[in-house]
Amino acid sequence: MANSVQQRFIQIIGLALSAIYATAIIWIYATEPRSFREVATGAQVAVGTYQVDQEKFNAALTLFRRDQFRAARDEWQRADSAQSDPKTQFYIAYSFYREGWGRVYYDQDLFKQGLDAVNRAIALSATPLTVDDENLQMHTAAELKAELEQGTERNWGDVNPLKVLRTRK
Amino acid sequence: MSGDLASTNRSKNQALVTYVVLPFIFLTVALLGGLRVSSESHAFMFLPPSLITLVLAILLLILFVRGRLIETRSLIAGTNPPLTNVTHIWMLLTLFFACAQAFNSVLPERGLLHWLFSFFFLWTLWNNQFSSFDARRLLRSLVVLFGTAFVLKHMLLASLYSADGGLLKRLTGALVSGVTLGALDAEQFAPATGYISFFTLGLYLVGLILISFTHPQTTSTDLAVTPSNES
Repeated sequence: MANSVQQRFIQIIGLALSAIYATAIIWIYATEPRSFREVATGAQVAVGTYQVDQEKFNAALTLFRRDQFRAARDEWQRADSAQSDPKTQFYIAYSFYREGWGRVYYDQDLFKQGLDAVNRAIALSATPLTVDDENLQMHTAAELKAELEQGTERNWGDVNPLKVLRTRK
Repeated sequence: MSGDLASTNRSKNQALVTYVVLPFIFLTVALLGGLRVSSESHAFMFLPPSLITLVLAILLLILFVRGRLIETRSLIAGTNPPLTNVTHIWMLLTLFFACAQAFNSVLPERGLLHWLFSFFFLWTLWNNQFSSFDARRLLRSLVVLFGTAFVLKHMLLASLYSADGGLLKRLTGALVSGVTLGALDAEQFAPATGYISFFTLGLYLVGLILISFTHPQTTSTDLAVTPSNES
């Protein structure tokens, strides 16, 4: 009788542990981490303990305010290596917008990358994303997305000479 | 009394191997079988099993049943407690994915070589379906099958297409690739990929050997070294 109970206990333990292991394997194949560090970061995201490196985020913000957009993006990408923080992704998108904005033309490649980043930010945020930053003129991800989308579209308005009077947001 | 104790211990150990160790071994094989390491960035690449590896895995499972390495009638039966049946089905499921990923580990990733290797496996497994097999012969046959594929992929082909190989190697690789218009091109991976594959296949075979030892019906008869088995 005791033997049967022990056998059942081993069966349950084995089934539970291997089911957890199988779930982890499926998760690894679904997320395709490229290194052990990405595995660790991904696991933090999965269990909800992931946090952006605040020091790097602030350093990036300082660079952004000095119009050093590429350096700012590098720092933000390091701060949010899992690309899982909507606010950081919003700022990355904003840096693409500001760098790609031109009085005569918009850099299509940068705007497209900005669009990808803002879409990520929107997807990551459960509620409509709003960033309270007095240095920005667009505070919501929806505004930024619309602006980036407008920049990637081609129409007759592009040849309007008054276009040069527009201001960067 | 000591006989009872030995019997109890045997039963416990058998349960531990069947319900804990074997699923873990097979799941580890399923994890590592699709793992490659990029030769340039040394980044991990996880390749899920392709459709052909799933077909090969099914053929191999049928072969396991025919070779009596797996006794499906005793593993899944109406007389077993439901939990036992569930755990046995789970173990078979992990074995299935381990088989698929073991094939994935030794199959070239793309091109004509992928299909040549797949055809070689398919032909061998299909032929084996009509041969008389026992567990011992089957295990030997699998060691040879996977060993050959491992040597061909991770040693011969990897060496032929290696970027840091000698001039003659690179010339041969370029010639083979050029003559076949790129059809025999092979993807390059870091040397770590070969070591991972070696460990994966080793673990897979250990799992299969453990299966043969945990099922008394096969261990007592089929695994015994007898003249009839040896011939």
